[in-house]
Amino acid sequence: MTVDTTAQVAALRELAGYATTQGIPTLFAPQAGNEITAGLFFRVGCADETLATAGITHLVEHLALHRIGLSDAHHNGATANAFTLFHVTGTETEVVAHLNSVCASLRDLPLERLETEKEILRTEAAGRSRGVNQQLPLWRYGAQGYGLSSYSELGTWRLTPDEVRWWAQTRFTRDNAVLWITGDHVPDGLDLTLPAGRRIPAPAPSSALPQTPAYIGGDDGQVVLDAVVRRSTAASVFSDVLGRALFRELRQEGGYSYAVDADYSPRDAEWATVTAFADALPQKQDAVTGAFVDVLARLRAGRIEPAELESAKAKALKSLDGPDVAARALPSWALNLLMGHEILTPDQHREQIAAVTVEDVRDVAREAWSTALVQVPGQDLAWAGCASAPQFSEAAVAGTRHPSLEDDRVTLVIGAEGVSLTMPGGPVTVRYDRCVAMAARPDGARVLTGPDGFRVEVEPTLFKGVTPERIAAIDAAVPPGAVVPLPPREDVPRPRPRSTTRTRRASHGSGIAAATAGPSTPGRAFLRWLIWTATALFGLLAVVLTVDELVAPVPDTDVILGVWILELPLALAAWSQWRTRPAN
Amino acid sequence: MSSIHQSTGTVTGSPRLDPYELLPEMAELRTAVAGRRWPAVQAFFDARTPADQTYAAVLVSETAGVESFLAEAAAAHPAAPLPRTLLAYRQVVIGWDIRSADRARNVSRDQFRKFHDWLRKAEQLLIDVCAEQPAFPLAWYVRLITARGLELGQSEARRRHDRLAAVSPHHHAAQSQLLQQLCPKWGGTWELAHGFARECASAAPDGSDCAVLVADAHIEHWLDLPSSEDEAYMRGVPVRDDLRFAAEVSVWHPAYRPDANWISAHNTFAMAFSLGGHLQDAARHFAVLGDRACRSPWNYLGDPKAMFAKHRRAALTAR
Repeated sequence: MTVDTTAQVAALRELAGYATTQGIPTLFAPQAGNEITAGLFFRVGCADETLATAGITHLVEHLALHRIGLSDAHHNGATANAFTLFHVTGTETEVVAHLNSVCASLRDLPLERLETEKEILRTEAAGRSRGVNQQLPLWRYGAQGYGLSSYSELGTWRLTPDEVRWWAQTRFTRDNAVLWITGDHVPDGLDLTLPAGRRIPAPAPSSALPQTPAYIGGDDGQVVLDAVVRRSTAASVFSDVLGRALFRELRQEGGYSYAVDADYSPRDAEWATVTAFADALPQKQDAVTGAFVDVLARLRAGRIEPAELESAKAKALKSLDGPDVAARALPSWALNLLMGHEILTPDQHREQIAAVTVEDVRDVAREAWSTALVQVPGQDLAWAGCASAPQFSEAAVAGTRHPSLEDDRVTLVIGAEGVSLTMPGGPVTVRYDRCVAMAARPDGARVLTGPDGFRVEVEPTLFKGVTPERIAAIDAAVPPGAVVPLPPREDVPRPRPRSTTRTRRASHGSGIAAATAGPSTPGRAFLRWLIWTATALFGLLAVVLTVDELVAPVPDTDVILGVWILELPLALAAWSQWRTRPAN
Repeated sequence: MSSIHQSTGTVTGSPRLDPYELLPEMAELRTAVAGRRWPAVQAFFDARTPADQTYAAVLVSETAGVESFLAEAAAAHPAAPLPRTLLAYRQVVIGWDIRSADRARNVSRDQFRKFHDWLRKAEQLLIDVCAEQPAFPLAWYVRLITARGLELGQSEARRRHDRLAAVSPHHHAAQSQLLQQLCPKWGGTWELAHGFARECASAAPDGSDCAVLVADAHIEHWLDLPSSEDEAYMRGVPVRDDLRFAAEVSVWHPAYRPDANWISAHNTFAMAFSLGGHLQDAARHFAVLGDRACRSPWNYLGDPKAMFAKHRRAALTAR
């Protein structure tokens, strides 16, 4: 859906001013007080990146703000899925200085800061709480587009100054921006000169979910749902009704949950994501899942109390009351202008809210359920009519076979087309030509991720016969743009027998960024041979002593027992070394 | 139905099991179902209490081939809760017949797969019925069975029971479904099972059949014990006193008004007392029952008719 800017802005004629500032569409409306607030939006976000470049938008945002340093104005930058926002509050002079500085930096990024900012982003990511809906985007969209919000910013390990500069020059352009300012005029002195470009529409959604409603198994203690619905006033009212219904059923009446919430947020010009969440005590979590399913079924059935709908509508209407309505609406108007979504005046919005009926909410509930992806504790939501999100790839590649040293039901296959991990339930495959990122460690470990989010970890220490030659074959086949070199790690994993294997798509793209124990060095090999030799020699001694005692006229059983007790730990150590020896 | 209760039948006659024969009132239901006359079935249910509705639903669900009739009725009356609920119940029974009543370790993967498929089908009908008509207890009742079969967990079964109890308190049939879930075989413990039975018995008004649950729990416990211990368990004074108390506040209470469940209630006490050798206690129940036997719980011992006859003889001889 494309919306004509002129027509869009015309609707606001009575409420807000419209201008262009060095070619950037600018909306302004007065707000009481001595300070003004401004926001500069760009239509670029994480969803525009790839897994290998993830973080590039965030890096540009950080670099653009670097020169500001300590300023009296209150400012912030935010990188979302489909937009980036520079936000500032202060005196007119401060705001002008801030925006001018941001644009100056965008024109000429301080790329000498790149490595430092990458480091800062990696630190920021480590400390960031990722929220309840961390997993669902990756299962819905895969390791691309809107699914990238499930991943860490892998690009911070490999992005070059040229790539970052190019990103700023093509995405942070005057034609891909909208500015809003709370004030009755556009302040003098603004110099927001940016390169010309084009308005880039929000990315089209990818899909890793062949069937919905679907479910994935998640951690204990929480049920999370996300759904994609057409953007509408009714859909936002629905999400409020859903939140209230879950709160009443799960917390007030059932006492199964403490934290319960539902949220509506636009994804692009046409679609919005509805997210609902409830926490649960482990002993109550089955009831939380059951009540969650029942609440959604009730709304789908249209059994919505008039009071429930009226409360939600009253809340929506209240947000349109009070002074400075236009100024407060500027961010959402600007975003709609940027995305190409219809702009509503407060009056139109009020009318739409008032017109929402029980049937409208019911219809959104049905739409939401038909696209839902639910994360449940435990394993299964098939009983409620949900399909399992795909756990395996369709086929494995052919190639050299490397049995797992941890689980004999698991084999790594390194082929000419890609890599597969074959497990009792099925294979997980990443084809080289479709590989969206391959994290590479100096110790030889590789983690390949496909666009569907499936990933294969090639750990030379955990599979038999993964020689440097096999790793080189993978390296030669993966597109260079997808390779993310990671630094050496302290702990290289060592095989541990385990009853279950990781069959799931993993959450973080960094994969082997944080893994586990000492590489197969010459020192370890020496130790291994030392143990085997000592075991053999002591074993021989034990046999000799035993035979010696047995043939003696009065055998001393204590000697026999003692020598074998001493041999036992050696034998166990030798056995352990034998099991974990590297394959050649 | 109290008139049925008055005529005690013959205590020497061959035991009878056929519910339609023992409760002539139910014959009307059989005729309506056999004639595929939905309005008559609906009217039959409308005229009954939740307890009798449940009893009638059990009979319908056990009628071979009834599913096509119920599916037609559900299609013809999409907003009515009863046709879909009975259809779902029938699907549960079809699934459970495939699974068999055997212990899980003796059930094949294929049996389990089909069993779960039928139960999921039923559950999805019932999700909608409960969403539309949360005050219709029969749908919650069947959802207690699907919750158990689909292993949806203790807290979910409890939630379904609580939803049912909110609209239909002291629902003995629902309580006995939850009791199954609270037994160790379905993931519970004996403390939970006996505790729940006692809780239901003491919360119920005098003369309610909820206290039968106390006997149900002891019979389940007895079944679970090794044969070296089970008889001693039932002979024990605490169990005997529990059973006597439960019988006094339910079927022997002056306020007791027999409903379709009365034969089952007396049979349960008769068997529980018989297992513990409390033959005089058992005899009182057999005297009321006459020749009216019940498949459950006698099928825990073997052929229900034969077991009923054997224990009745023993009890009445001791009297």
